[in-house]
Amino acid sequence: MNINEETKNINEKSNSEEGEDTGKEMVPPVANSIHRSSSRPQLDLSGAAIQGNFEERDPTILLPNQSDDISHLALDIGGSLIKLVYFSRHEDRLVNDKRKKSMKERFGVINGNRRSFPILGGRLHFVKFETAKINECLDFIHSKQLHRGDNDNAVIKATGGGAYKFADLFKEKLGVSIEKEDEMDCLVAGANFLLKAIRHEAFTHKEGHKEFVQIDHNDLYPYLLVNIGSGVSMIKVDGDGKFQRVSGTNVGGGTYWGLGRLLTKCKSFDELLELSQRGDNSSVDMLVGDIYGGLDYSKIGLSASTIASSFGKAISENKEIEDYRPEDISLSLLRMISYNIGQISYLTALQLGIKRIFFGGFFIRGHAYTMDTISFAIQFWSKGGAQAMFLRHEGFLGALGAFMSYEKHGLDDLMVHQLVERFPMGAPYTGGKIHGPPLGDLNEKISWMEKFVRKGTKITAPVPMASPRTTGLGGFEAPSSKGDTLRSDESNLNVGVLHLVPSLEVFPLLADPKTYEPNTIDLAEPNELQYWFTVLSDHLPDLVDKAVASEGGTDDARRRGDAFARAFSAHLARLMEEPAAYGKLGLANLLELREECLREFNFFDAYSTIKQRENEASLAVLPDLLMELDSMSEETRLLTLIEGVLAANIFDWGSRACVDLYHKGTIIEIYRMSRKKMQRPWRVDNFDAFKERMGFGENKPPRHKRALLFVDNAGADVVLGMLPLARELLRRGTEVVLVANSLPALNDVTAMELPEIVAEAAKHCDILRGAAEAGGLLMDAMISIQDSPREKSSSTPLMVVENGCGSPCIDLRQVSSDLAALAKDADLVILEGMGRSLHTNFNARFVCDALKLAMVKNQRLAEKLIKGNIYDCVCRYEPAS
Amino acid sequence: MEGDRIEEATLANSPVDEISHLALDIGGSLIKMVYFSTEKDKPQKDGRFLNGGLYFLKFETSKINECLDFISSKQLRCRGIQHCGFPASDKNIIKATGGGAFKFADLFKEKLDISLDKVEEMSSLVSGANFLLKAVPSEAFTYVNGQRNYVKIDHNDLYPYLLVNIGSGVSMIKVDGDGKYERVSGTSVGGGTFWGLGKLLTKCKSFDDLLEMSHQGNNRVIDMLVGDIYGGMDYLKIGLSSTAIASSFGKAISENKELEEYKPEDVARSLLRMISNNIGQIAYLNALRFGLKKIFFGGFFIRGHAYTMDTISVAVDFWSKGEAKAMFLRHEGFLGAVGAFMNYKLVEEFPNSNSLVGDLTDNGIIECRVHVSS
Repeated sequence: MNINEETKNINEKSNSEEGEDTGKEMVPPVANSIHRSSSRPQLDLSGAAIQGNFEERDPTILLPNQSDDISHLALDIGGSLIKLVYFSRHEDRLVNDKRKKSMKERFGVINGNRRSFPILGGRLHFVKFETAKINECLDFIHSKQLHRGDNDNAVIKATGGGAYKFADLFKEKLGVSIEKEDEMDCLVAGANFLLKAIRHEAFTHKEGHKEFVQIDHNDLYPYLLVNIGSGVSMIKVDGDGKFQRVSGTNVGGGTYWGLGRLLTKCKSFDELLELSQRGDNSSVDMLVGDIYGGLDYSKIGLSASTIASSFGKAISENKEIEDYRPEDISLSLLRMISYNIGQISYLTALQLGIKRIFFGGFFIRGHAYTMDTISFAIQFWSKGGAQAMFLRHEGFLGALGAFMSYEKHGLDDLMVHQLVERFPMGAPYTGGKIHGPPLGDLNEKISWMEKFVRKGTKITAPVPMASPRTTGLGGFEAPSSKGDTLRSDESNLNVGVLHLVPSLEVFPLLADPKTYEPNTIDLAEPNELQYWFTVLSDHLPDLVDKAVASEGGTDDARRRGDAFARAFSAHLARLMEEPAAYGKLGLANLLELREECLREFNFFDAYSTIKQRENEASLAVLPDLLMELDSMSEETRLLTLIEGVLAANIFDWGSRACVDLYHKGTIIEIYRMSRKKMQRPWRVDNFDAFKERMGFGENKPPRHKRALLFVDNAGADVVLGMLPLARELLRRGTEVVLVANSLPALNDVTAMELPEIVAEAAKHCDILRGAAEAGGLLMDAMISIQDSPREKSSSTPLMVVENGCGSPCIDLRQVSSDLAALAKDADLVILEGMGRSLHTNFNARFVCDALKLAMVKNQRLAEKLIKGNIYDCVCRYEPAS
Repeated sequence: MEGDRIEEATLANSPVDEISHLALDIGGSLIKMVYFSTEKDKPQKDGRFLNGGLYFLKFETSKINECLDFISSKQLRCRGIQHCGFPASDKNIIKATGGGAFKFADLFKEKLDISLDKVEEMSSLVSGANFLLKAVPSEAFTYVNGQRNYVKIDHNDLYPYLLVNIGSGVSMIKVDGDGKYERVSGTSVGGGTFWGLGKLLTKCKSFDDLLEMSHQGNNRVIDMLVGDIYGGMDYLKIGLSSTAIASSFGKAISENKELEEYKPEDVARSLLRMISNNIGQIAYLNALRFGLKKIFFGGFFIRGHAYTMDTISVAVDFWSKGEAKAMFLRHEGFLGAVGAFMNYKLVEEFPNSNSLVGDLTDNGIIECRVHVSS
C-alpha cells in the first residue's frame, strides 16, 4: 500500500466516524496550527520521507509538513493506581549503528519493494504508579519529557476518575492540560486493540492453570466486556466504537475493598487480596454441608462444599467480628463477589447470545483465585458451555484507549504481526507490581538490580544467588526452587514493552499462516521446560565470558555482564515459576529472550570476534573446496554439497557439544572429518526426492526461479556449507537470496556481515562475483569494475536480505517486509540449522518446495524429534503443498 | 402497611390445645413450623372433614431447643390425633424439610422419640407455593412505590412461573405445575449474607432488629453513587441516574473512616440494598432466560419488609425495563413448611372444591378443613 492509498483510507475513516464525534465537537479544539475542517485532522503526508538510513529495521517516517503535535502519553488515573501508556518514537540507538551504517553504505543490502509505513515505528510502554504517589508519576513524565508537545498548550488525554481530580496538579507541575476521555470509550478501544493486535493477549484461567486463547480476528465480535472496577460494567462490543453498556452490578471491586476494609482493617486493596490467599471461607460461609449435616444435596447438583449462604455462618450468636480471622473474611468476600460477577456475566451473555466473555478491570489484578472463581462460576452455570477469558494487559485497557483517542496514533492500522513484545528488566516488575520508580538509563537499571539482589526481599521473582563480585560464573543456582515465599504473586501477569514494527510482515510462502506455529517444542510440558532451562543455565557462564570479552573485558563490561546474568537468571526463574508469565512460551521465545537480554545490557554482538576469526579461516580454505567441487560430476556434486551443508552445520556455538569439539582441531579438519562421516541414509533423508526435483531423475522439471536460503552460523557453516550450495543454484540459473538475521544472535551470521563475506569469496570465484554484482552486492570500489558489462547483466543475481529478527530461531509470522517482498517470486525455500529448521519450522508447510537441513547437536532433541542420536542429520524435502 | 404482614403465631398466643398435625422446615438459620389446630368454639368435625386452621411459627435454628420444648409441651403426638381418629401409625412421625431435617434427625429421635419424615426441600417449596397461590385469595401481591397491590391469580394461567426462595441462600425454581419444577439457578448471597455480614458490621442482635435498623438508614453515606463518580451528574449515555448505586460500600474505600464511625443504620441499609438488588437482578435474568413472566419471591429474608420488597421490585423493574413485575407472597417464609404439611395429604386436593379452604383471618391463620381418613 502506498502513501496515497493510506491517505485515502484515513479520509474515509474520519468521515465514517464523524457521526459519533458530535459530542467531542463541543470540546474546545486543542490549540495547534492545523485547521480542523473535518472532525478529525489528517496526517499531512506530503513530502513524507524515511528519516535516516533506508535500511533501518523500522525506519521512522519524517513528515515535514505535519506539525509535530503528536502526543506521546495517555493516562488512566484511578482511585488506587495510575496507569500510563507512552510511546517512544525512536529506537534506542545501537552502539554499533555507526558500523552498521557504514557497512550499509559500502555494501548494498538488497532492496525489495521499498515502501513507506504510515505508522510510526516505536515502542509502547506500560507503567503503573500508585495514585497516592502521584509525584513519582509527575517526575517520571517530566524526566522523559513525555508531556512536551511542540506547542505551548499541550494536552494529555486521560481517563479514570482522577482525570478531573488531578487536572490542576498537572497544569501546575507540568503545564499541561488534561483532556478527559469517556471511560467506556477508552475501555472498548483498548480492549479491541489488544485483542486484535497482541497474539497472546486473552487466556483462560482454571484451577490455577492458564491457557492462551487464539482469537480469530474475523470472529471477534460481538463479545461481552466485563470491566470490574469499583462497580461492574458489562459492555456488549459489536465493533470498533460500536458498543453498548447492557448490564452491570453494583457489587464490584469497591464492594470488596470497602466491605473488606470495614471488616478487616486492612490498609490497602493488595493487602486484603493478599490476606485472602491464606483464608478458609468455611468458617464464615454456610456451606451446603453445614445445612445437610455434611451431606451433598446431590439431587440439585450441589456438593457439600458449595456455598449455600455467603457469610451465613457469621450469624452465630456467640461470636463477634474479632473472633473471625481476617484472612477468612477476605476470602469469603472475594468468593462471594467474584462468583456473583461471574454468574451475572454469564446470564447477561446468555441473554444476548454472546459466546465470548472477557474480564478486565482493577479488581482482577492477575489474581489467580479471583480468576479461578469467576471461571468456575461461568463454567458451573453454563455447564461448560461458556468460558471466562482474561486479558494480560487488563489493567491498561483504559490508558491504552485514552492513548488511542489521539487523532493520530496509527495504532488502528497495526496488525498483529507488526507488534513484538519485549520484556526488559524492570518491565516485568513495573508491569506486575510496583517496585520503586521506573528506571531511567542502563546504569540506573543495573544499580537497581544490584540493590535488589542484596536486599533479596522485595523482588517478586527469585533472583540468582550470585555474589555481587563474580562475573556470573558458576554463581547461578538452578531456578528450580518453588519456595512459598516466592510464590505469593505467582499469577501476576507481566506486561512488556510493545515494539511497533510496521515493517514486519507474515512470510507469504507459508501454506497456512493461521495454523502456523513456529515452535516445534512445546515448553508447556514441565520436563521439557526444566531441561531447556538447565541447558540455558549451564551455557550462561560461557556466554557471559564471551560477551564481556567482546566489549573489551573492561570493568564496565564486567558489571554489565553480571547484570545480564542476573537479569536472565531472574527471567528463567520467573518463567520456571510460571511458564505463561510472558505469554505462550516456546523454545524460540526463550532463546530470543536471551538475545534481547544481552542487547538490553549493551552487548550487541557477543560473538563478533569469534565470528570474524572463523569467517577468515573458512574463507581461506574456500578456494580449495570450490576446486574440489568443480572437479566432480554435477550429480555427485549435488550430494557433496548437501553433505557439506550438513557437515558444516557442526560449527555452532549454540551447542555445548560443538563448543567442546572446537578445542580439538582446525576448522577444515573438522569439516572434512565431519563430511566424511556423512553416510547416507541420514536419519531423515529425502535427498533422492530433492535430487529428482533438481533434474537428476527421469523427469526434467523446470529449474527453480528463485531460492531463499535461510542461513545459520557464521564461519564454516555459511562459507563452506551454504555459500557453495548457493553457488551451485546460481550456476543452474536459479536466483539466490541469502536470508540472514537482522541482529546478531549467538554466532549466527547477520545480513550486515554477509556482503563482506560474499565479496571476499567472490575474489576467487567468477560465478559468485557475477552474481553478487548482479544482485547489487558489490558496489564498492574494492571490486574493480573491469568486467565486461555483458557478463554483469547476464548473471543470475545473488542477493542478501535481512529476516527481521535477532534470534537463533525464526517466527515466520514476523519477517522483514524486504524478505516478504523477495519471497513472492521464490519457489524454493531452504532452511538450515537447528534453530530455523528444527526448533522452529520443523513442521512448517510452504506453498513452494522446501528443504530443511540440519545436524542435530543435542541428544534429547535427536531422540524426541527424529528418534535418533546426536550428530544425526536431517535432510527433509517437501514439495510444494 | 406493615400491618399487612403475616403475624406469626407466638408461643404465648398460640392455641394451646388441639394441635394435630405439624410440619417443619429446618433451615440454616430459622426453623419454620406449620401446624393444624381445631378451634374450641367451632364445630370440629364435619363429616369426613375437620375444621380448623393452619398456624405458623418460627424459631431460630441455633435455639432448636425452644422448638423441641414447644413440640413437647403441646403433647402433639397424643391428644389431637387420638381424638380425631388419625391413624396411630402417624403418631411418632413429623414431616420435615430443609437441610436441618437431616442434620437434626437424631436429636428429635433422642429428645422426643419422634422420627422426622424428610420431605425433599425443593418439592416442599413448590407444593407450598402452589397451594398458597391457589388456595389463598390475595396471597400474591406486587409492591410498587410503597403500595401493595394484590394480584388475582388465574389458576389456569399460573404456570410456568419462577419461584425465588430467599432463605439463608437463594434458590430459583422454575415451576411448571404440581410436582413439575426445576431448580434453575440460585445465589449464595441471600438472607444469611444479610444477617451474617450485618451482624459482623453492626453488632445487631437479631435479624429483625437489623431489618428495622435498615429502615432508618441512608445508604448514600457508604455506597458510591453514579453521581459521586460523575460529579453529581447522571451518566445519561448509559442510562444511569446520579442516585444509582455504582458500587455498594464503595465509599468505604476512600474515606478515612473506620467501621465504628459509620452509623449501623446506614450500614444495614447499604447491605439490604446490595443484597435485594442483586437477587432481583439475578432473578430477572433467569426469568428472561426461560421466558417466564411471573416471578414470585418468597423465603424468610423478605419478611414483608417494605424496603426489601421495594428494592427487589425496583431491581426487577429496572432490569426488565418495566416488562416484569416482582410478586411477593404473604406466607413467604413458610413455603417449605406448608409444602411439608401438604405432604400429609390431609388437605383437600385442588381443584375439587375451591370453597373448601383458604380464608385468611386477621392473624394470618389460614382457616381450612382437613381430610380425615377413615
